[in-house]
Amino acid sequence: MENFSEVMALFLSVDNFLAIAAGVLVGVVVGAIPGLTATMAVALALPFTFSMEPVTAILLLVGIYKGGMYGGSITAILIRTPGSPASACTLLDGYPMAQQGNAKKALKTALYSSVVADMISNLALIFFASYLAKIALNFGPPEYFWLICFSLTIIVSVSGSSVIKGLIAASLGIILSTVGLDAVYGTQRLTFDNYNLMDRISFIPLLIGLFAIPEIIDFYMTRVAPHVRTAVAGASLSWKEFKGMLKTVVRGSFIGVIIGAIPGTGATTAAFISYSEAKRTSPRKDNFGKGEPEGVAAAEAGNNGVAGATLIPLLSLGIPGDVITAIILGAFMIHGLTPGPVLFQENLTLVYALFCGIMISSFVLVFVGNAAIRYFSIIADIPKTILLPIVLMFCIYGAYAVNNSTFDIGLMLAFGVLGFVFNRTGMAAAPFLIGFILGPMFEDNLRRTMLISKGDLSIFFRGPITWVFVLLTVASLAFAIRRYWVTRKEEALA
Amino acid sequence: MENSEQIFVESSESQCGRWNPNSILGGVFSILALCFLYYVVPTHIELPYHMQHPLLSPQFLPQLAGWMVLVLSLLLMIDGLLKPPKREAADEYRRGVPVLRQVLMLVAGILYAVFFEQLGAIGSGVLATALLFLASGLRSVWVYALVIVFPVVVTLLFIHVLNVPLPAGTLWESLSLI
Amino acid sequence: MIKLMKSRVKSKIMWTLAAASLTCGGLAQADEWPTDNIRLVVPYSAGGTTDLLTRKVADLLQKELTTVVVENRPGAGSTVATGQLARGGRGSDHMLLMASPGHTIGASIYPNLRYDPVEDFTFVRNVINIPNVMVVPVVSPYNTVAEFIEGAREKELSFSSSGIGSSIHMSGELFKSMTKTNMVHVPFRGSGEALPALLSGDVDVSFENMPTVYPHIKSGKLKALAVTTAEASEFLPGVPTIREAGKGYGLEDFETSAWFGLIAHKSFPEEGIDKLQAALDKVMASEEFKNFLPQFGAEAGRVSGDEFRQFIESELQKWSAVAEDANLKR
Repeated sequence: MENFSEVMALFLSVDNFLAIAAGVLVGVVVGAIPGLTATMAVALALPFTFSMEPVTAILLLVGIYKGGMYGGSITAILIRTPGSPASACTLLDGYPMAQQGNAKKALKTALYSSVVADMISNLALIFFASYLAKIALNFGPPEYFWLICFSLTIIVSVSGSSVIKGLIAASLGIILSTVGLDAVYGTQRLTFDNYNLMDRISFIPLLIGLFAIPEIIDFYMTRVAPHVRTAVAGASLSWKEFKGMLKTVVRGSFIGVIIGAIPGTGATTAAFISYSEAKRTSPRKDNFGKGEPEGVAAAEAGNNGVAGATLIPLLSLGIPGDVITAIILGAFMIHGLTPGPVLFQENLTLVYALFCGIMISSFVLVFVGNAAIRYFSIIADIPKTILLPIVLMFCIYGAYAVNNSTFDIGLMLAFGVLGFVFNRTGMAAAPFLIGFILGPMFEDNLRRTMLISKGDLSIFFRGPITWVFVLLTVASLAFAIRRYWVTRKEEALA
Repeated sequence: MENSEQIFVESSESQCGRWNPNSILGGVFSILALCFLYYVVPTHIELPYHMQHPLLSPQFLPQLAGWMVLVLSLLLMIDGLLKPPKREAADEYRRGVPVLRQVLMLVAGILYAVFFEQLGAIGSGVLATALLFLASGLRSVWVYALVIVFPVVVTLLFIHVLNVPLPAGTLWESLSLI
Repeated sequence: MIKLMKSRVKSKIMWTLAAASLTCGGLAQADEWPTDNIRLVVPYSAGGTTDLLTRKVADLLQKELTTVVVENRPGAGSTVATGQLARGGRGSDHMLLMASPGHTIGASIYPNLRYDPVEDFTFVRNVINIPNVMVVPVVSPYNTVAEFIEGAREKELSFSSSGIGSSIHMSGELFKSMTKTNMVHVPFRGSGEALPALLSGDVDVSFENMPTVYPHIKSGKLKALAVTTAEASEFLPGVPTIREAGKGYGLEDFETSAWFGLIAHKSFPEEGIDKLQAALDKVMASEEFKNFLPQFGAEAGRVSGDEFRQFIESELQKWSAVAEDANLKR
């Protein structure tokens, strides 16, 4: 029991609570600014933590991380500008909901799904860290390869009205993802000797360009429509409605936890897998992509389920799963702490104090999130004639700020035109994004596997984990094909 | 805008016949895919001197994706030719759009894309936002006050609060020193 | 990167204006350096190791001199930001860049670089060095460098890295070419992704940065065979240098490390260099700096000024040869 009091002594300080609150608040606000991401917020806040106590410093960063995850979905829902790649999935149903006058309901659904997923994720971190870390260590290149193959099958369910067009979009995304210096041989691929393209196409300009800019272009390619007042007065979310979605949220959280515990896969994959699963099992399949609250819930649950779980490989193995946790790892090291088994042996009280803070951050997110909804949903009431030019300005500044490069502004606008053409021709942007994210992972892990095995293909079936994902891939494909034929038949009959 | 089936503005006037969006899109993409596979890939993706396995080739994934585009767009074209999609009525707001509105948007885009460094974040923000407000025919004066206020406030926020540098504008810098 | 676009759109009038402003700027510079804030460019993204170290150094440096503003300009290794610095122009008399192995490796592998990695710069001071460690998984049958080389001669082994052109990758290539062994390079994106494959034994060896592998060496999940620096590291007592351990296998001259140092444009005011070096000496003698280093398994940088330049020249020679050997030169 003396351990308990030590933990409390370490955790119960005004600084820690302030750090959590400030972190979540900063995260939500920065995440909600188009072009600024949670990653950027964490990176920029890092120098400020140099002089803080270790627990306070890390809680501040974790707070920003969690706040940023939610903040990204606010703009995704309200102005179709995803703050992070993961919230591109939230946008699929969140933005249509907002356009139908249900902005408030969409934002609340996102918030409560996020919070529930966040708590489940935290509990997984606290109670199953060592167990889940073992899974992470068993994930070599062949296991990743099959996980990515399985993830690629979700393209079918986010393809919108036409699976063929969705697959074309995904293939185009894959082609663009190969631009840059080759990861194995260092040869130039599709760079056309342009220096700006050697490090691959920057992600943020692509993301904003693909989703936010087409809305703006479309607005100026049409006559001004009278402004429809919608959001602030829109209906909120009732407990009954949320209870109906709880199953989806919990499933999404678990998907997030598993994906999060495997380093290097990321929140985007989790969000889309969760979304795809929700759509597959929903009785209202056809409403997905047209403003289905359950779609928002699934996406946010998957997305936030990752947040706590990425700390599992970080804390128990010292392996950062994404850029943000890599920065948090840096913060640990700045304060003379080395995450990994040693941390649990030597600084157990500190670890538990961190756990307390991380749990508290979920509750803080409820309050900050609700306040944010109140103020941000005013955006939905600003006429588009005024709102869109200002959104464009934010997007431009944000795109520039990523690499301090005007090239990225041009890139973003070019992707905006592409996204506009996509919209007008019934191609979906989401498969393009998935292709762009998963393409390199597919290739990297295929090649790593081949390099490790020296060309022996049997390595692809080397253990139970590979088989599980092979079966999941096959099942998912079979299901997609069956569903495709059923709908075609229905169409033919109609 | 939803990603549901939408129709070219031009084709909405005519009946959806053999030349519908699907067959045109499929045709265009298959030609592009052929160019990509037979010109761009061999000339713009260098091969290394030594490769352990053909699956490791830098050209493998682009080629795979290129072939997928080719096959799928042929399918899309055939699908469009055999079974033209149902025509959907185009949005009434898409017709009779003043050309000036589109031109002003284009100019604003070019301002940002080409002159961002020269005009600076504030300069280009003010100009482009003003152009876009004009494009919508906004009349009230207080709205144009926003044109100045917003870029200035946002730029200062980025630079001083978020610690993200934005360009001040090389044009102004050189003018002020003379 | 912007200059190219700029030159296309800028009219002749603009050039005259710019020229006029430059001369005016020159006249106004009678005051003592520094007349402005120092801009310290990190050629990598925010949040990485280079960024972290730079921000700490900047923090300490501004207590000695003047305000130091850190800017991240990532792109193409570190060559985009370095190229910008090389071109000079307005403000380059207050601009510094935190160079790292990417400076010399990038120059060895990137095609048609538009600058000379030595001639276009002034070398201020080497601030921090982080050794690399040759580590094998705990399941590996090899316990010494000699055993490992014998093993690598019998069958093809693999080494992982955080990406092509990283100091980790190039250390492996250097090892290959010096020992005349044939190892397969398995690239990952960042050390975080590379670690699991190394811990589980999917790859046979890595020449990772000290801070990444140190906790795993301590917890017994990785075996440290040698450190890559010329002198043994105080953090890993009992672990030999690769030079000692690889005697008789052609490794007598082996030395690599992740070094970090400040460089500036070639026409940086001399007065500024002197002041910077003096300030850096103070920074590096401070308790805070000395306490900070061990968190990263790092050592204080040794060389400054001309010695630093010579160090860069020798690094450049080494990596060009390795890049040539490994067919990485484009």
